[in-house]
Amino acid sequence: MKKLILLLVCLIALSSSAYAAEKPQISIYTSMYEDIIDAMTKTMKEKFPDYDIEFFYGGTGTLQAKIAAERETNKLGCDMLMVADPSYSLELKAAGLLHPYISKEAENIALEYDPEGYWYPVRNLNMVLAYNPEISKKEDLPKSFKEFAENSSLKGLISMPNPLTSGSALVVMSALKDKYGYEYFDKLGQNKPMVESGSVALTKLETGECKVVMILEESVLKKREEEASALSVIYPEDGVICVPSPIMTIDDKFSAHGNSKICEELTDWFLSPEGQSYIVKGWMHSVLKNPPAIPYDSINTSEIIKNSMPVNWENCLKDRTELRMNFESKVKNKK
Amino acid sequence: MKIQKNNSYFPLPNSYLNIKAALITAIAAFLLVFNVFPMGYLVFRSFWGENGFTLETFERIYTYALNWNALKNTLLTAGLAMIFGVMIAFPLAWLVGRTDLYGKKFFRTLFVMTYMVPPYVGAMAWLRLLNPRVGTLNVFLANLFGLSENPFNIYTLGGLTWVLTTFYYPYAFITISRAMENMDPSLEEASKISGASPLKTVMTVTFPIMLPSIVAAGLLVFISAASCYGIPSIIGAPGQIDTITTRIIDYVYVGSSDGLNDATALAVSLMIIANIVLYVSTFICGKKQYITVSGKSTRPNIVELGKWRVPVTILVSLFAVVVVIIPFATVAMTSFTVNLGKPLTSANFTTKYWNILLTRPAILKTVKNSLIAASAAATAGIIISCVMAWLLTRTKAKGRHIPDFLITLGSGTPSVVIALALIMTMSGKFGINIYNTLTIMIIAYMIKYLLMGMRTVVSAMSQIHPSLEEAALISGAEWHRGFWDVTLPLIAPSVVAGWFLIFMPSFYELTMSTLLYSTDTKTIGYELYFSQTYNSQQTASAIATGILILVIAVNWLLNKLTKGEFSI
Amino acid sequence: MASITLSNITKFYGKVQVIEKFSGVFNDHEFITLLGPSGCGKTTMLRMIAGFEKPTSGEIKINDEIVSGSGVFVPPNLRGIGMVFQSYAVWPHMNVFDNVAYPLKIQKVSRAEIKKRVENILEAVHLAPFIERMPNELSGGQQQRVALGRALVSNPSVLLLDEPLSNLDAKLREAMRFEIKEIQKNFGITVVYVTHDQTEAMAMSDRIIVFDRGVVQQVDTPMNIYKNPANEFVADFVGKINFINGTAYENFIEFQGGQKMNYNGDKRGSVVVAVRPENILINRERGILKSKILQSYYLGDINDCRVDIDGTIFRVTAPGKTYGGFSNGSEVFLDFDEYLVFQK
Repeated sequence: MKKLILLLVCLIALSSSAYAAEKPQISIYTSMYEDIIDAMTKTMKEKFPDYDIEFFYGGTGTLQAKIAAERETNKLGCDMLMVADPSYSLELKAAGLLHPYISKEAENIALEYDPEGYWYPVRNLNMVLAYNPEISKKEDLPKSFKEFAENSSLKGLISMPNPLTSGSALVVMSALKDKYGYEYFDKLGQNKPMVESGSVALTKLETGECKVVMILEESVLKKREEEASALSVIYPEDGVICVPSPIMTIDDKFSAHGNSKICEELTDWFLSPEGQSYIVKGWMHSVLKNPPAIPYDSINTSEIIKNSMPVNWENCLKDRTELRMNFESKVKNKK
Repeated sequence: MKIQKNNSYFPLPNSYLNIKAALITAIAAFLLVFNVFPMGYLVFRSFWGENGFTLETFERIYTYALNWNALKNTLLTAGLAMIFGVMIAFPLAWLVGRTDLYGKKFFRTLFVMTYMVPPYVGAMAWLRLLNPRVGTLNVFLANLFGLSENPFNIYTLGGLTWVLTTFYYPYAFITISRAMENMDPSLEEASKISGASPLKTVMTVTFPIMLPSIVAAGLLVFISAASCYGIPSIIGAPGQIDTITTRIIDYVYVGSSDGLNDATALAVSLMIIANIVLYVSTFICGKKQYITVSGKSTRPNIVELGKWRVPVTILVSLFAVVVVIIPFATVAMTSFTVNLGKPLTSANFTTKYWNILLTRPAILKTVKNSLIAASAAATAGIIISCVMAWLLTRTKAKGRHIPDFLITLGSGTPSVVIALALIMTMSGKFGINIYNTLTIMIIAYMIKYLLMGMRTVVSAMSQIHPSLEEAALISGAEWHRGFWDVTLPLIAPSVVAGWFLIFMPSFYELTMSTLLYSTDTKTIGYELYFSQTYNSQQTASAIATGILILVIAVNWLLNKLTKGEFSI
Repeated sequence: MASITLSNITKFYGKVQVIEKFSGVFNDHEFITLLGPSGCGKTTMLRMIAGFEKPTSGEIKINDEIVSGSGVFVPPNLRGIGMVFQSYAVWPHMNVFDNVAYPLKIQKVSRAEIKKRVENILEAVHLAPFIERMPNELSGGQQQRVALGRALVSNPSVLLLDEPLSNLDAKLREAMRFEIKEIQKNFGITVVYVTHDQTEAMAMSDRIIVFDRGVVQQVDTPMNIYKNPANEFVADFVGKINFINGTAYENFIEFQGGQKMNYNGDKRGSVVVAVRPENILINRERGILKSKILQSYYLGDINDCRVDIDGTIFRVTAPGKTYGGFSNGSEVFLDFDEYLVFQK
């Protein structure tokens, strides 16, 4: 008994830890993965020795929810955001939360950005299809998003991310709706996709529970490089759906530390070839016209952009509720 | 011999009662500030539109068929998990606690162990075992019995109920078996002497006497299952089975103010359900107060199973293999597998994921943070639990049920809602700023898991005869000294169990942690989430297995240190 | 020195009154028994003296110091009282030594002193050989002695005992009665003893307080309680007694059934006559009340008889030496040597 209490007391005593910082601080909310962040942080420490830069990693949905809650208090916990997609930037811009800055790197960017400098794409995520060549033959599988929804031989054997919880999946649904109309949702629903997160989908692809999955290219490439996995990407013929993820600076009024000038410096660096090279190491594509490299096992960035399915960001923002409702009734609630 | 007069006592009339009042006030104040206020704020927001009071949000949410379906699914699966959980836990607790079953101690640890694995990871194991197409166990069974089709489909309401049950029956098992061990054996003996068979005795004496504990246990299972997100998100989603929690997350991840309102409106219904269940259960038990640990010391009696000893042991072992060993082994094996589509051969074997786990300095830091936060939450939580148990079972202090109600309210609230409410209210807007500290996480854990500890301690305390404490008082001890010297040692096993019931889920807590952590306060739950969503199942499995090994080690150590007096 | 003064004590549980205004003084060294059937309020009374219950109104003084009332409430731990509970309340997680030593530990008595005093007290309660035992290794009687030892170890001036013997077997109970009495004498303490067993009360007490439904019926020495019970309830509760209804007139009482007996008392009208069995004389030939033997058992020293007086059943004990046996159904006459008359 006594020993036990002593143990507990020790544990409580441990829990008092203080934190102090003297350098100007920058907090960045990002959905970029920790491995990339770790690699980036090292270089950034050398580049920006006078700043104390910290990353906060979270899934897009988690971060958006966190930000929504923080907005209630009129004070965000961050100074910069590297999360979600341009439609989210449009929303934040309209809400007056963002700080404009014309980056000197802007003219090198291959993708759409805000002409007033409220947001820039900083990494290019691509929604593709993936399969397991050890189990299925590529010829039997869909070559496009259209076939993904229509090929009834794959009924119940497909998986896709959840547009209700994942921003990039919602972008994809928006693009597909613009291209094929809501009938696409009906067909998709009839093909009974499993709606789940990417890591679960990849496991299912490995075990053969699913034959083909709609997934972000980076997850497949990462698995190929790190685990020598055979899982392969199918670049859909009706176009890869590019989801450029933006970088944004929070207006000093709402930001955690009010260091927007420093954020401007950081923005330039992230958009520079050096910053972009870390994005590519994280199996995502660079946003530059002349990418420093292409991700492991991927195809040329320019080729992807050329063949990509257009996304209307205004529509994406505007139709959000409608898209969700349609997805819920046509795909999710289909028995 | 003179009365030991303590002069400071006399100017304060009624100070014995004042301490109680002070305690209630302190606990209630804590809960009011850190629990009711944040939740209340959310609820308020969901009723308060631009033009004042409105039911618009609720109308929007509840006129939507999908949400009604989700509500139905939640009630059904959580209700069934509660019934099955208790049906499993009661006989197991009896067998382990009161009979001469072989390997009792081993089984007891084993049955509690599912509690030590994050539901996320466990759900993944079940998914791999029982998915309708290539589930390992499914295929094995089909081959074994020559079936043309795989027998089970995990992506059904039945599958969801099964996984929820296997994950939450330990709550019931822990609660019931504590009470079972404390029961006065003469009550059972009286039944046997009256000619009742052992089974009849269990049904007519043991079961009714245990009823308050059983109801408490069922309540825990129900609330935990109903507010669980990890399992339905993995098991339910592919089968298009929505629950309230998955719908809440759907709304939360909209990432807008409206989304939060909608999520809150849904969460409110979960809170209401949880509290209805609480009230029904206290109503059932309220009239029945059994005191089973008397001041007279009795020898523990053991039911001899006789010719049933071997068959029953085999049956229990089978259950353990199916519910505990197979999924755990799956998790452990996953952590060594390169390609999950292939069998675990030497070519497909790797310790890479364990290397990540053991070498990444960040992980060590998160383990430390989690240990601190979970210990603090568990310790503070168990202190509140003990005081609450004392207030509820030993006093007639007015208002003692208010904190009790608030604690249940917190536990019935989905984690994500708690986290968001804390962010909104505890980041300086209302004068308290604990955002981005470990404290906010500790508070979140306490709100969510306090109930587990409290119910365990209350049910233990309600079985200790008050005269044992009165004897301490009359011996000259102040009430708190008596509590410390007499009551606490007697309920100590339950206190330790309660501490673990708070500690474990806090330790690997995932949903709230990912919203509340800051760079310095990353927890192991965050690391798990990160692995789960990004790295791989394998790393997540390695972390889960690591946690399990840690827990088993701590349990072993505890057992050694206290000479078997305490263990999980 | 250790007197207990109770003034106008009342106690309500909600709207139910469990103690009706009670006043009394328990003197130093006195052995007071609170006697009554279960639910009569005697335990509540004891718990109020201990401090576990608060009187709704009234004042309790121990040694002329107010412990309850007038805005003062001294909690049990500061009252310096010893108490033995009905269920013993021996702490199951402590051995005999630790149980008994507990009050001394609270008082921060030195280790050596504790050891000495615990050993002494265990000697006194005949538990010395069991000092290391755990409670579940002791018999009921031994556990009871542990409780007693614990109550006495700090030399309290007042010892409260709440039905301490009710869980023991008959023989042990009798032995313990003498032990407790002995201990009271040796330790020179004031004892308040709660029981529903009138024999226990008679055997041990200096004074008995008889309770019924929260109301004190009589406070007196055992002999007076027995010989001059204040009312029908006390007469009935303490010792064996027979009741017969009748009507009192100036010179006689006419019993139910019509038989008459001379009477010089001052009661008139409807009365109950109470007679203890040993105060009835049986005569085979003549006497006042004609009656019939229903059953008779010859027990050697006495005949234990059930006698029918015009429909009222009396229990009569007749010395065996004098009468030999009675045959069932035989006609006898009864004379009352001593009797009590209560107004109906």
